[in-house]
Amino acid sequence: MSQPAVLQLRQELRKCFQSLKENQTVWKGVLEECTPLVSSLRNLAEQLRALKSVEIANTPLCTFPNLPERLQHKLLNAVDTVLGELSEKVDALGSVRDSVSKQVSAVFQMYEQNSDSLPISTCVARSALSPSIADMLEWLQDAERFYRIQYIQRRNLLQQLKPDDLALIETVTKTWTSLYSHKGEEQISGALLQVSFFMESD
Amino acid sequence: MVMLSRRIRSSVPVRVTSFPRPPPLGLDSVMLRTRADWFSEHEDIFKRSDRTLRAMPQVLQVLPLDHSDLGTQRCRLGPVVMEDLGLRLGSPVLVTLQGGASCLCTAWPRPDMADAYLQLDTTCCSPALHLKALHGLRLGVEHLTALSGPRVKRLRVTALVRNSEYTRRTSTQAVAALAAELLTGLYVHVKHLVDISHAGTPVQFLQVDSVNLGSHKAGRVTSETRLEVASVRTVETHRRWAREGSAMELGGLDEVRASLKEMLMLPLRYPISTRRVGVAAGRSTLLVGPPGVGKTQLVRSVARDVQAALVTVSGPVVVGSRPGESEENLRAAFTRASEASRDGPCVLFIDEIDALCPKRSSSTGTPENRLVAQLLTLMDGIGSDEGLVIVGATNLPGALDPALRRPGRFDREIVVGVPTLQQRYRVLQCVCRSVPLAPTVDLKSVAEMTSGYVGADLSALSREAALQALLHSTQGGADSDQSRGGGGTVRMEHFMKALRLVPPSCLRSSVGVAEFTPVTWERIGGLEEVKLKLRQSVEWPMKFPEAFVRLGVCRARGVLLYGPPGCAKTTLVKAAASSSHCSFLTLSGAELYSPYVGDSEKALAQLFCQARACSPSIVFLDEIDSMVGCRDNGGGCRGSSVQAQVLSVLLNELDGVGFKPAERRGTGQSERDWRTREDQRMQLQEVCNQDVMIVAATNRPDMLDSALLRPGRFDHIIYVPPPDLQARLNILQLHTEKMPLKSDVCLQDLATRTDLFSGADLENLCKEAALLALHEEGMSVSAVQQKHFQKVLQNFQPSLSPQQILQHQQLFKHSYS
Repeated sequence: MSQPAVLQLRQELRKCFQSLKENQTVWKGVLEECTPLVSSLRNLAEQLRALKSVEIANTPLCTFPNLPERLQHKLLNAVDTVLGELSEKVDALGSVRDSVSKQVSAVFQMYEQNSDSLPISTCVARSALSPSIADMLEWLQDAERFYRIQYIQRRNLLQQLKPDDLALIETVTKTWTSLYSHKGEEQISGALLQVSFFMESD
Repeated sequence: MVMLSRRIRSSVPVRVTSFPRPPPLGLDSVMLRTRADWFSEHEDIFKRSDRTLRAMPQVLQVLPLDHSDLGTQRCRLGPVVMEDLGLRLGSPVLVTLQGGASCLCTAWPRPDMADAYLQLDTTCCSPALHLKALHGLRLGVEHLTALSGPRVKRLRVTALVRNSEYTRRTSTQAVAALAAELLTGLYVHVKHLVDISHAGTPVQFLQVDSVNLGSHKAGRVTSETRLEVASVRTVETHRRWAREGSAMELGGLDEVRASLKEMLMLPLRYPISTRRVGVAAGRSTLLVGPPGVGKTQLVRSVARDVQAALVTVSGPVVVGSRPGESEENLRAAFTRASEASRDGPCVLFIDEIDALCPKRSSSTGTPENRLVAQLLTLMDGIGSDEGLVIVGATNLPGALDPALRRPGRFDREIVVGVPTLQQRYRVLQCVCRSVPLAPTVDLKSVAEMTSGYVGADLSALSREAALQALLHSTQGGADSDQSRGGGGTVRMEHFMKALRLVPPSCLRSSVGVAEFTPVTWERIGGLEEVKLKLRQSVEWPMKFPEAFVRLGVCRARGVLLYGPPGCAKTTLVKAAASSSHCSFLTLSGAELYSPYVGDSEKALAQLFCQARACSPSIVFLDEIDSMVGCRDNGGGCRGSSVQAQVLSVLLNELDGVGFKPAERRGTGQSERDWRTREDQRMQLQEVCNQDVMIVAATNRPDMLDSALLRPGRFDHIIYVPPPDLQARLNILQLHTEKMPLKSDVCLQDLATRTDLFSGADLENLCKEAALLALHEEGMSVSAVQQKHFQKVLQNFQPSLSPQQILQHQQLFKHSYS
């Protein structure tokens, strides 16, 4: 009856999962690249704090003119560089999100256009080889949501930073690591695993 | 075929299964097919999935949500239900619960395909929805409505953030951008609260104010949606509004309310113009008024009206045991208020400020003085905060430190007095709004009867009346009620009963409250002239206020009754008080005099103060000669004695310069809106009844100070003569009313023989005669005979003497003739 529509949608789903798989790799890679940056940020924050607490005048270094100011300038420059790199990474995460969103919304649009020929009974039909259309759409929506919220959270975190608030930098670095959601990542991987047969069967 | 099945779906309103149903016999004019044809065409569907062919459940069991679905706005339904409602995957569905709460979700099939269950994610739901209400709920299918979800082009929301610090740091545009990103992909419904706290951003909730400028109810937010943030509030503020949403109405405080509101709203509504004119002042008000007039309620309701945060400070909470703790608490309260004022208007309300800020003196001790000083400094420091208004309330303005009552600290002082007649009427209207009143209840007359009642008393009165009605209907009065058709309503008689149970609060702690059984004028024999005079001065001003105003007469301030003892002076006053429905206060010498210096004067002043508070009232001073004495004769009463001081207090109270502003009636502003004739009458009555009337009785008028007796103090000096013949007859008739008399008793004869007898003597005569009858005839005597009266009369001396009467008559001859 509605075979062409079903087939078309399955094709689109396949494409979408393919791209999700690629995007997942990119996302993971970007996050891994972020880890050293975050730890260096924390390190810099610690150095800045140490600089604030030390009395240079009481140390042998007092002969150097304007030492604290210079040091601070240097450290702040370093913080700026790290933050710049981090925001580049976050932009990369944003592009991952954009691409996933685009793909997913395309699939949903297609489903909505053809929904007259796709009754619920067809959508929930499963087989050994392929999950139901409803499940797959759900997973895609979940994945899209996960990336979107992760991106918002990380970007929001970086936006909160202010150069003069050292304590905030330290908490931000902690929060950054805690944002990593094992469960969410796993859900996406699980979904990808479940559709692996479906993707191979053409 | 698909076309066919859809067409059929729309033509068959009630469906049992999820599958395309056969068309009803011969009704489908468009599709001229037979049922057999139809079945053969759909055969493959029926074969393939007859396993899942189930009847659609009519009631769905609500289950808790799976953890993985949290925040996804999904609602898990069985596929059959989804199909039946015409839902597709992810299409919006509005779940309406009992009580009007609703929740907007997207429909998704349950993973296990079970049909009889429903799981909801309450990401977008109306604020009235509580998660607890969902527990174990069974919901009919008719509560689910499929919505069309157009794309939202313009969205207006209110952002609720976790703390106000975020609002200060971030611009509204940034909040809007964040909110738009968080909302993308979600369906929103007008008036719903979208929970986005799971994203971990400071924006926790978004309240949807309008979708597509109000043209749609619900819709889906996309990345193209233009989102506008109307305002940013903290969640706490929002919850407070929601909690206090039901506004409590206050009657009769409109002027005070308006002026408070104006103070709060003016700088917020017109910030530029107020800044230009430099109206920086007017940031604090002191409310002064007797307890129970609704000062606290007023502040609360105004704060709710203008949606201002209310920070309350009360004395006992602030004061701590450690040194410096009280000041710290006070500072904390002010900090809280100024923080809240950054969020929006804020009222810092200091209730019972007299406890917190008493007069500083060496006797109060350092800690109190420090606290007062702290309060003063803090009040000086708030000038910079735009939206902060301080309102203090007290009923003892005299106890406040004078430094507090100057512009800059408390700029305005508003006196909220005991409600006037019209205000009482409005208060009654407010408090009786929820009480089912019978049509016979006239609130105006209730208002007339409740002079001296404050708002709290009136609400207690209405509550008591409702209770009386309830008791009445439960005490077997139910059937009689129904026969009269007034079942369950509160009638006038219930108000009357309640009036007896709820005295005005100003009289509860009063020094001179007296209770007595009401006496009617008819219970006093004779003395018609005196009765008329008393009526003129007490009853008429209440009953015919127009006439008094028309003729420019003001009511008498005081009445002095004098006459020989036992001639019903006290009873006359009782009758006057009970006929005029006004408060009745009396003071005896025992209450007045005390061993402490100054105490007596204070007691008398307090008596008058209270009498004014619950005016119209009658103050009755019995045996006034012994109470105040006289200054000018050489007797024991010298200028420095207590009696002379009490006299001076009395003279002052009778005709003093004025009274304290705190004792003012009403709100101190004249009410110009005399709408109807009835209103006007009430107004006049109010004007006439503002005074306290003093009635004094004495049998030694010559002992009184001449200053007391001039017009303006005791205007009417009424001689209560000993009863004449007719009066004696009347008195005897009254006293023998309950006495069985033998037919030979001639009261006329007795009256002629009892010349110089006072009323009390006559009463005693009757009593003695009855006792004698009991004594002589034994306990079983049936009636009193004439001989008993005669026998008693033989050895009975009248208490009055002709000289005494002459003396009394001569005394005020000049003023009488």
